[in-house]
Amino acid sequence: MVKVHTNEKILSCAKVGVKGVVSYFKDEQVACRLISMGLVPGSTIEILHKAPFGGGWYVKSESLHIAMRNEEACSIVLR
Amino acid sequence: MESGRKQTRVALIGNPNCGKTSLFNFITGLQQKVGNFPGVTVDIKSADTQLPDGSSVSWVDFPGLYNLYPTSRDEKMVVQSLLDTKDRFHPDLICYVADVTKLEKHLLLLHQLKDMDFPLVLVLNMIDLAQKEQLEIDAGLLSGKLNVPVVTVSGRSGEGIPDLFKEIGDQLSNNINARISDSGIYTFSEVEKNLTQQLASIFPSYSAYKRLLMAHHAQWLPFISASDRIHLLSILGENAFKSLPFQVREVTQRYHFFTPVVASVLKQKVKDGFTFSEKLDGLLTNRIFGLIVFLGILTFLFQSLYSWAEWPMTLIEEGFSSVGNYLATHLPSGWFTQFLTEGLIAGLGGILVFIPQIALLFFLISILEEIGYMSRAAFLFDRIMQIFGLNGRSMVALISGGACAIPAIMSTRTIASWKERLITILITPFISCSARIPVYTVLIGLVIPSRTVGYIFNLQGLAFLALYLSGIFAALLSGLLLKWWIKSDEPSFLLLELPDYKLPVWRNVGLTVWEKVRTFTLEAGKIILIISIALWFLANNGPKAAMADAGKEAKREAAERKLSAEEADNLTKAYLLETSYAGILGKTIEPVIRPLGFDWKIGIALLTSFAAREVFVGTMATIYSLGQNDDELTLRERLAVEKNPETGKPRYDLATGISLLLFYVFAMQCMSTLAVVKRETKSWKWPMIQFFGMTLIAYLSSFIAYQLLQ
Repeated sequence: MVKVHTNEKILSCAKVGVKGVVSYFKDEQVACRLISMGLVPGSTIEILHKAPFGGGWYVKSESLHIAMRNEEACSIVLR
Repeated sequence: MESGRKQTRVALIGNPNCGKTSLFNFITGLQQKVGNFPGVTVDIKSADTQLPDGSSVSWVDFPGLYNLYPTSRDEKMVVQSLLDTKDRFHPDLICYVADVTKLEKHLLLLHQLKDMDFPLVLVLNMIDLAQKEQLEIDAGLLSGKLNVPVVTVSGRSGEGIPDLFKEIGDQLSNNINARISDSGIYTFSEVEKNLTQQLASIFPSYSAYKRLLMAHHAQWLPFISASDRIHLLSILGENAFKSLPFQVREVTQRYHFFTPVVASVLKQKVKDGFTFSEKLDGLLTNRIFGLIVFLGILTFLFQSLYSWAEWPMTLIEEGFSSVGNYLATHLPSGWFTQFLTEGLIAGLGGILVFIPQIALLFFLISILEEIGYMSRAAFLFDRIMQIFGLNGRSMVALISGGACAIPAIMSTRTIASWKERLITILITPFISCSARIPVYTVLIGLVIPSRTVGYIFNLQGLAFLALYLSGIFAALLSGLLLKWWIKSDEPSFLLLELPDYKLPVWRNVGLTVWEKVRTFTLEAGKIILIISIALWFLANNGPKAAMADAGKEAKREAAERKLSAEEADNLTKAYLLETSYAGILGKTIEPVIRPLGFDWKIGIALLTSFAAREVFVGTMATIYSLGQNDDELTLRERLAVEKNPETGKPRYDLATGISLLLFYVFAMQCMSTLAVVKRETKSWKWPMIQFFGMTLIAYLSSFIAYQLLQ
């Protein structure tokens, strides 16, 4: 997790193994998509793997596994 | 309806990976057909069956979606069908399929559909898996709390399907005319309340929630009339309605409603540690090992195409040869027998011989799809794909492109970004499809020796792989070019669900293979057969006076060279072919293709191949069966003995063979693909760019290869 000046913990630039609870989403478009897939504020979230070539994240939230890019991970703010 | 009798349309709807298609396959089996209608390409599967109680039902299998706010074209199509009561797939009843192991996440869409007032049956799928995972569900309680009938089934084993039929029958015998209610489960905000009240003037027959959906999708829904849209958009403007915040509001509120419901009906043993899929993904999506596995799978795929398909192909090849031979000797000789053996049977054999390879390729690809590997491949390569203007999901299209570009291009509909989707569509035909296999097989068999190198690799198999890699290389390079050329400022994203690994359902695999082989045999086969027959005609007829002269000339020359009767006969046939309409056609384009090492006979095959690549083999079979008396020879053997009349060396030497192979790797020779690209991109601009671009690349690379190798 990376601390930004607003004290937000963001699920990006994070490392494999990082766990947290989703607080809110910074981007509405991503928010809508993630919520409808079942990743809602309050869900636990954990980074399991990272794709090769500097690629995206393999994220686990309860029984759900989602692949996402850095840009999407950037808009997930953790508690 | 075609039958004139109103049939009840039952739609299977659910989230991606909920096992909907397995269920559909189980229920409908071989009766399903893929709908394809003018205007839009629809690859929605449907099938008519009879329920045990005698009522007849038309099943529709919709693409998966997460909620009623679609992002990709596939999902938009479903929402459109649900909102437009006149749509040809608009359901009378919805079987909502949810994966019981992911119940909470799968209830959102059900909840929305309920507010749309559709009669519903909730189908809890994968009940077999739930039992394995020691998950207990109180279906009766769930049904009570949601006020929806609930059935538990397994799309794998068929468990519970009779209950589903019974429930549907019960629903149908009740009055299922859509109710209109103004009080859904979702509680509107003030803005939404005002808005939907005002919209009643435009959509009087719609419920409040449906009117709200019309507001959300005002921009793109195609069935709203122009005047209604203007009216609608002005109301939205007055209310300062913004879609996204309300979507988030609605979805969040729904979760608050059913999360406690799920908690009360589901008893799940909490598991510690990683699941099997997570552990496996530790290897399969690993930076190094994951890539090795991926390359291993591809190599295995193409090696097996060559080694496993060999013996059934030989069997079919020889079978057709002997049938032709039998007919030629037992039927009275004449034009009809000649047409039968040289036109029809030669053409037919040219198609059927490739069924083993096509079946095998689709078999392996659909297994990868079934077990859930394809989405891992998308995840692995998303970053790399972005370099070439593509998306991780393009990987799925590119791999399916190895079977056929048409379904591959249709699969790009899940890519939300138009630019990424367009580039994927444009470059997919570079990936060697199964229609190229026939051409590769014949030519590689001719010019590459069958040797084992490095103990396990077959040299011909490696050549095969090299051709595939050239196609991939061309695809990626073009992607790079197109990414720079096509401008777009629309955001691109990748949110991809990675389903748990599952054993493949063999019924699904079998149905895919059957459907693809059938399509190939019927659709491609039709074209191939027509062209073979037309070609046979063109090769046997020509300008009358010239044909007569050619015959005389051949006789004179034969007498001069003191040829045997058989040799004289062959010479006559060769002269006649050269003088025929087909010969004239080939000779006309010969100057253009001569620098590539092709003669007029290959020229004829090239021309016919622009209809469809696989026609090449049929054409060659037809052309070369004409000049020969020995029907025992298969096409490959005939090509091997063909001599270049100028040099006396084999016509199909390495230079010509490689040049021809490269031409087939790169050229855009498939009318059906162009038609699909036109439909998917809604203009002739892109298919034309694709056609001329690819053919130019083909010409140049063949030219360079031939000039260097010669």
